[in-house]
Order: sequence, then structure tokens, then C-alpha cells
Amino acid sequence: MVRTALSPPKRFGQGPSPYALFVPAATVVAASLLAALPIVSTSGWFPDFGYLALISWRLLRADPWPAWWAAPLGLVNDLFTGYPIGFSIALWSATMLVLDLIDRRTMWRDYWIEWMVATLLIAIDEWLHWRVARLAGADLPFSMMLPPLLISICAFPLSAWLVSRVDRWRLGRR
Amino acid sequence: MATARPGWSRRAQYGLFFSLLGVIAGIILGLILLAVSLVAPKTFDGLRGGALDITGPIAGALHEVTATAQGLATGADDYWDAARQNGELKRERRAMLERMVEAKAIFQENLQLKAALQLRQQTRDAVAVGRIVGSSFNSPRRFAILSAGSSDGIREGMPVRSPDGLVGRIIDVGALASRVLLVSDRTSIVPARLLRNGIPVIAQGRGDGTVEVRPLEVGRNPFRPGDLIISSGTGGLYPPLVPVARVVKLKDDGGIALPLADPATTSFAIVEPPYEPAVVAAENQPASTTAP
Repeated sequence: MVRTALSPPKRFGQGPSPYALFVPAATVVAASLLAALPIVSTSGWFPDFGYLALISWRLLRADPWPAWWAAPLGLVNDLFTGYPIGFSIALWSATMLVLDLIDRRTMWRDYWIEWMVATLLIAIDEWLHWRVARLAGADLPFSMMLPPLLISICAFPLSAWLVSRVDRWRLGRR
Repeated sequence: MATARPGWSRRAQYGLFFSLLGVIAGIILGLILLAVSLVAPKTFDGLRGGALDITGPIAGALHEVTATAQGLATGADDYWDAARQNGELKRERRAMLERMVEAKAIFQENLQLKAALQLRQQTRDAVAVGRIVGSSFNSPRRFAILSAGSSDGIREGMPVRSPDGLVGRIIDVGALASRVLLVSDRTSIVPARLLRNGIPVIAQGRGDGTVEVRPLEVGRNPFRPGDLIISSGTGGLYPPLVPVARVVKLKDDGGIALPLADPATTSFAIVEPPYEPAVVAAENQPASTTAP
């Protein structure tokens, strides 16, 4: 990044976009809004788009948004996706906290470690979904959750790539 | 919060500390709200209805676009294949005419029998007709979004059906859209019976688009692959004689069935008043319907 800053600007008018501070949160809300797509899924194997966007941003940068924004973003996700209200608020705030702790502990980072961390977080997310559904009276075997879990894990690299493209765009680097 | 200590700036250190407090407050708040929404599911009805009013129309508009695109594609396909389809339709029409004459005779006989029994035919008007425009994507729960809401007269708990069969019942209502608990959701239990011999059964969702059917009386497994399950009207919520599912696989103590009304291809969904509102209201007094 230092190198990018030192290199002479190739073109004029290429600074960060004026709303650069709010772009990450806006993309998470947009990902939550994917729940309004006119697709009727009878099996529920789609990934948790909002959560994928959240951890993609947080793994890419330490400060995509002030940490406490996770709670209102989670509320938006709960409202649009129909999860029990409070589920994403608690989970997303806890995710911000856990990733901060992980940031302190890890010596180095590469794609594989990020994918593993994301896998762990997605697995926790799916397990909690299953657990909360059980509490709400939908008593199902956990094997039901394996296909969406695998699909979410495979979808993470795609979401991380999309997020990194948006990040480059918002900071005016091409 | 990325580093333990951002430097000597007091302001930056306090900023980090307060953001940590903010996150912890977020977690606690989320857990409290989650507990409330699990214990008392009706608490956030207004909020959820409002959110439905935002997503419902978006999904509805996008649904129109995809439906039009699909319509164009299948329309072009039909032209391509017109001659063969024409022959097939003529054959089908001849067969249907024969069946219709039979049906008319049965209808007449039915009228006479009913007159003899002095059965009062209950006329049931649809409350509203809507389209199924979306669904829950990532969740063990099975919900769908219906493009009609309280402004059309829809209330919570009303049964939803399509021309093919039973779809589910309303659980969240917004002004413009509502959320339907599909029959394939785990918490949905439909009192039903076998069409073949009238044995009372129970159809409970399995969360993956299929339903589990079990006989009410323990004993020999009454199901055969291909059996049709129809609602029995017991409990007063769902109207009787609505097709529910078709058995596709047998298990030790029951079977697995596919709902006849596939929400993915259902074009119209009809919302009806509860079959016997008095019974439902009386049952709702001690416990809520969402957590049976």
C-alpha cells in the first residue's frame, strides 16, 4: 500500500469515492437484500449472503466500519431474511469481536488461513441456525445443514473476490 | 480494535475502548432480542411486517421480470413444436371429454345424495389471491413471501392454497406482503388422510421441501408409493379435501411425500379464512399456533 501511495498518479480524478466510508456497510445491506430475489428455494441451500459479505469485508480489512455497526447491520439482515430477530445482531457482533482476537494472535495471513477462518465462522453460523430452529420447534437432524454449509464454504472465495474488487473501486485504485 | 494499543493518543485509545464496549453491548442486545423472539414470537410482528413491505414489492417486481422472460422462452418453444403439440392436445381433449361426461353424472348423483342427507354446502370465499414471489434462502425453516398483505384482508393464521394443493399458512403480515409457513417446514403439521382409504394421517414438514407422513394409529404401514394425501379438516384451520402431498418413498413407520403445490412453480396462491374460526380461536387461547 505504501508503494501505491508513493507511485506517481497515472490519471487525475482517481481518488477514493466520496462515500468510501459507507460502501462496505452498503454492500452488506445489499447482500442481505438478495433475500428479496424472486427465487423460491424448496431446500434452503443458498448461502447466508449477508454473513458472507460481512466476513469477507472483515477478513480483507480490520476497519471496514466501526465495530459496533455490526449490530444494526445484523438487524437489517434479520428483518430481510426472516431469521428470528436478534440472531444476526448477536452473531455478527460476536464475529467482529472474535476476528479482532484472531487478528492479535495470528502471525501471518494468507488465502488458505483466511478461507479456514471463514469456514469455521460459516460452520458456526450454520450450526447456530440449526440450534435456533430447534429451539423454535423445528427439530431436524444436523445432516440437513451439510449441503448449505458446503455451498457456503465454496461460495466464500467468490464473495471475497467480489468484495476486494469493490474495495479497490471505492478507494479509487484500478 | 485491530491492534492492542494504537499509540500514545488518548483519544484513539478511548475510541478503541468504546468501540469494544459497543460490540459487547451489541452481543448482549442481540441475545436478549433473540430470547424474546424465541419465547414470544409475536413481539416483533409490526417490525417484521414493515420489513416485508420493503422486500415483498421488490421480489414481486423482479418476479414479473423473470416470469416474462420465462414466458417468452416457453412461448417460442411452443411455436417450434406446434404441430406435435396440436396432435397431442386433440388426443387429450377427446379423453377429457369422456371423463367430463362421467364427472357430470357423478356430480348429479352427488347432488342427489347431498339433498338426501340434507348436507349444507359451506361456501368458502377466498380472502385474497397473491403470487409467491420469494422464500427463505439459508435456513432450516421453510418460509415463502406472498405478494398480498393486510390491505387485502389477510390475517395471521389463514390457510394458503393453490390450485394444485395446500401451500401453508400465514405467519407474518405486512400491509403489502406476507410470509407463509410452508407445509414443508418442520413446525407445520397438517391433519390429513389417505385419499385411497381414508385412514387418518399426519403430514409434518422435513425442512427440505418434502413432508413426512405418519398414520395416526400405530400398526401396519398404510402407505404405498404414489398415494395421495388430502387434508382432513381436523383442527379447524385447514379446509378439508385439499390435496396435500404424494407419497414417494416408504419408511418403517410412515413415508416421505412431496407437496403437490410446489411453491417454486405455483403461479397463484389463494388465501382463505380459517375453516372453522371458532375452533382455531379457542385453541389459540392457551398456546400460540406458531409453536405447536
